[in-house]
Amino acid sequence: MCIIVGDDKDFPTLRKRVQTSYLEAAHVKTNRMGITNFTVKKPLQNDEYAVIIEEGEEAHWEVVERVLFIYAKLNPGTSYVQGMNEIIGPLYYIFASDPDVKWREFAEPDSFFCFMNLMSEIRDFFIKTLDESAVGIGSSMEELMTILQDRDLQLWQSLSDQELKPQFYSFRWITVLLSQEFPLPDVIRLWDSLFADSQRFEFLIFVCCAMLIVIRDQLLEGDFATSMKLVQNYPVTDIHIILNKAMELRDPFKRMSQKVWKKSHKT
Amino acid sequence: MDQNQNCHKNNEFLFKVLIIGDVAVGKSSIMKRFAENVFDRKYGSTIGVDFKTKKLKLGGKAVKLQIWDTAGHERFRSITSAFYRGAHGIVLVYDVTRMETFTNIPKWLQELDLQDYNCTVKILFGNKSDLSSERDVPRETAFKYADSNNMFLFETSAKTGNSVNEAFEHLVSRMLVAFHEAESTATKPILSGDLSTCILSEQEKIIAGSGCSC
Repeated sequence: MCIIVGDDKDFPTLRKRVQTSYLEAAHVKTNRMGITNFTVKKPLQNDEYAVIIEEGEEAHWEVVERVLFIYAKLNPGTSYVQGMNEIIGPLYYIFASDPDVKWREFAEPDSFFCFMNLMSEIRDFFIKTLDESAVGIGSSMEELMTILQDRDLQLWQSLSDQELKPQFYSFRWITVLLSQEFPLPDVIRLWDSLFADSQRFEFLIFVCCAMLIVIRDQLLEGDFATSMKLVQNYPVTDIHIILNKAMELRDPFKRMSQKVWKKSHKT
Repeated sequence: MDQNQNCHKNNEFLFKVLIIGDVAVGKSSIMKRFAENVFDRKYGSTIGVDFKTKKLKLGGKAVKLQIWDTAGHERFRSITSAFYRGAHGIVLVYDVTRMETFTNIPKWLQELDLQDYNCTVKILFGNKSDLSSERDVPRETAFKYADSNNMFLFETSAKTGNSVNEAFEHLVSRMLVAFHEAESTATKPILSGDLSTCILSEQEKIIAGSGCSC
C-alpha cells in the first residue's frame, strides 16, 4: 500500500519543508594562482541558532537526522556511529542546494539512497571489531604508512621519530573521508575524485599520503606538538595541489613516462 | 613524543592530559574553553582524538600542557585507549544534566585501571553547571562520590567558563606534587596504587624536565 504523504493536510509534505531555509557553505574565492581563500564570516551568536521554525516546516538537520535514524534501524549491527553525520552532510548539501527546484524536492530520498550505497562501501571503518582486520581502519592506516615509507622515507622516519602515530590523525581522515579537514567546496571536489576511483577507496590513502608530503617541510622541522597540531588542523592548501600529488604518488611510473614522452616529442 | 625540547630548561614541565567521558558531556568544549577561551555550541562530534597545547605558569613553574580530547562514543574506545599511554593527568567529565553520564564514571575508571594507569592524577569535572534548571546529578551525591574515590570534583561550565581554569590549575598543581613525590620516592618500592607512590618512568621524567641529566 502506498500512502501519499502530501495528501494528509495535518502533515505537510517534506518536499515543501526542505526548501524553506537555505544551506550555506564557506564562501570561497579562487585567485589567479589557483589558491582558494575563504572569506570568514562573522560567527553566529549562540541564540542565532535558534531559528524559529514555523508550523509544518522542518530544519535541514531534522531531515538529516531522520536519514541517519532510518539507517541505524535498518543496520542494527552497525547502528549509528559518530562520524556518519559527516558522511551524509556533503551528500545532503549537494541535493538540497540543487539549482533545479524540482530536484531539490527529492533531497531526502536522494541523499538517503546515496548514503546507503556509500556506507555499504565504507561501513567497515565504523565497526570496532574490524579495526584490526584486513578490511578495517587499522590496515588502512598501516597502508598509509607503508606508502609513505616507500615514497618519502625521510618524512616517514621523522614522523616515527616524533612518535606521531597515524592513529592520532589519519584515523579521522580515513573514517570520514577527509570531510572534516577542508572547507565544504574542497570536500566536494575531493569526493568527486574519491568516488571516481575504480579501486575505491585506494585513492583516499594516496590523498592522505599526499597531504603529509605537501606539508613535509613543516613536519620535518617540527616537534611532536607542532606536527600534531598541523595534521590535526590541516593548513589551508589548494586542494588541487594535494590531488595532483596523490595522482603522482599512485602512478609514479605513468607520470614519469608521460614526462619522458613529452620531452622526446619536443626534441 | 618530544623529549629533547625542554631538556635544558630548568623548571619547565611538560604534562600530557587526557580528557575522557561519555558522549556529548562537553569534553571538546572544555578543551576549547581552557586552551582558547572560546565557546561555540555547534561543535561536531570528535572522531578519534583532538589535540591542543596550553602554557601556563603556576607557583613560578612554567608548565606546558598537551591536551588530548578523546571521542566519547563506544566505537572509538579501542582507538582512544591507545592514547592513555604516558598520560600524567586524566580529566573525567560527566554532564550534570544527565545522570547516566555520572553513573558511567566508574566504568571509565575501570577502563583506566585496565590500562594500568592507576597512578596518574585524576580529576572529575561535572560540566554544564550553568544549566541549573536541568540539573540531574545532585551536588552532594557527586562530591561524596569524588571524596570516596580520592578525586577532586569541580562543577564547571565550558559555556560560561565557570571553574574551568581553576579546575585545570588544580590538576596541574596535583601533577606537580605527584611528580616531585615520585622523584623523591623513586627508589622505594611501590606498596600501593596510591598517588604518593606513583613513579613516573625515566622517559617521563625527562619529558617533565627537571629529572634531566644533560
